[in-house]
Amino acid sequence: MLTLNWPRLLSLFLWISPHVLLGVLAVILCSRRSYREFPCFFAYVLYEIAGFILLFALYSASSVTAEQYAYAYYFTLLFSIALRFGVIEEVSRGLFRESVFLKVAARRSLRCVAGLLLVMGVLLAVYAPGNNSIKLVAGSVVNRGAAMVQCGLLLSLLLFSRFVGLSWRRPAFGIALGLGVLSSVDLAIFALRTEFSSAAWIPYLNWAITGTYFVCVSIWIAYLLAPELEPASLTVVSRDEVENWNTELQHVVRQ
Amino acid sequence: MISPAMLGHTMMIGHTMIGHTMLATWTLVAVAFFALAILVYVALRSRTRPVDLEKAVQAFRSLDIEAFRNLVDSNEEAFLRNNLPPRKFHEIKRQRAWAALIYAWEAGEAAAALARVGQAAQRSSDPQIAASGVQLSENAFRLRLQTIKACLHLLTEILLPDLQSRSLPPLVDQYERAADTLFRLGRFPSGVPGLVRTKS
Repeated sequence: MLTLNWPRLLSLFLWISPHVLLGVLAVILCSRRSYREFPCFFAYVLYEIAGFILLFALYSASSVTAEQYAYAYYFTLLFSIALRFGVIEEVSRGLFRESVFLKVAARRSLRCVAGLLLVMGVLLAVYAPGNNSIKLVAGSVVNRGAAMVQCGLLLSLLLFSRFVGLSWRRPAFGIALGLGVLSSVDLAIFALRTEFSSAAWIPYLNWAITGTYFVCVSIWIAYLLAPELEPASLTVVSRDEVENWNTELQHVVRQ
Repeated sequence: MISPAMLGHTMMIGHTMIGHTMLATWTLVAVAFFALAILVYVALRSRTRPVDLEKAVQAFRSLDIEAFRNLVDSNEEAFLRNNLPPRKFHEIKRQRAWAALIYAWEAGEAAAALARVGQAAQRSSDPQIAASGVQLSENAFRLRLQTIKACLHLLTEILLPDLQSRSLPPLVDQYERAADTLFRLGRFPSGVPGLVRTKS
């Protein structure tokens, strides 16, 4: 029988509970048919659940060594990172879907930002502080670089949309927000890990990561369940008003 | 065997490396928390910022097109250049560019607000309003990006007044286009007293 002390109990709670919530999230995505709109996010959620089951099984099996577990962890992490990029692409595609102009202009700008961030991420992976042993290169350093790129992309997306007055749909905004929080905290924690690598610090850093994941999954659920806000002004704008503005702006832009 | 001097040198290098590592780590942590703060700010603001039609309309109607046109007028600039000593001209040019920049920025903010109006209209159940909303927001996005370009040009002019002088004609053309844009907006008929009407 496992002997549980409070730190261990907290670790297990913070590790298991976000994945239980991910299960709830998968059910919500299915019941609302949101997987049609966010197929990559749905795949990410399912993958995270499957990854957790695999890792938990390995963790519980007494025959699995710590090294084997670490390799499995980094392997699942790499696929998770790739899927997160897919989710960001999905969210940005959905955001610019309704605007032909922004689809071209904004996405081109975002590609430039992505290229720049990728260079920074690679430089960070190569020159960043820390113990560059093979295992860490496969894990912490890659994740740190990827977290930086993802965080930068999501911030650019949020700030750009805010700058041009582009409205987000609530589920897409929630997904972007949750992923942004996750990647920014990942960046901080994986940077700190290289400095505070002693056994005394590891539980605290793990709690920070799993605790943040719990918060992020809660954000996703909250935004997916929240009703889409209908602007109160919708019913009070006359058709003539909107068309007048439209006509005038068309003159402006076409000259 | 390592001499004490060499050992001291090695330790110094070690300390410097540890210092750099520590600095890089805390820089990354600071960047991450800065990003997190922005995310939280954007999330909170998006919750508390409904579409404000009245603000958008007022912003557009309050634009003084003629004032902006004067600020970016090439003839007026040529007159100032010919009649003022270079140092004074640069000073005035910077002030004019700064004023024009603030003006263009405000116009951009108004365009962003208008884009939100368009998107709100897009969700209307009336198909005609929804279709107009699509076009309105598209045009507002274009206008917003135009004002960003104008702001960048003006900023360059503020920072490097001499450098800008060499490429003045195309820049003036750009300003002229922006001025015409704003002029048209300023001519927009006031129509009904306000776009936002109470539901009562």
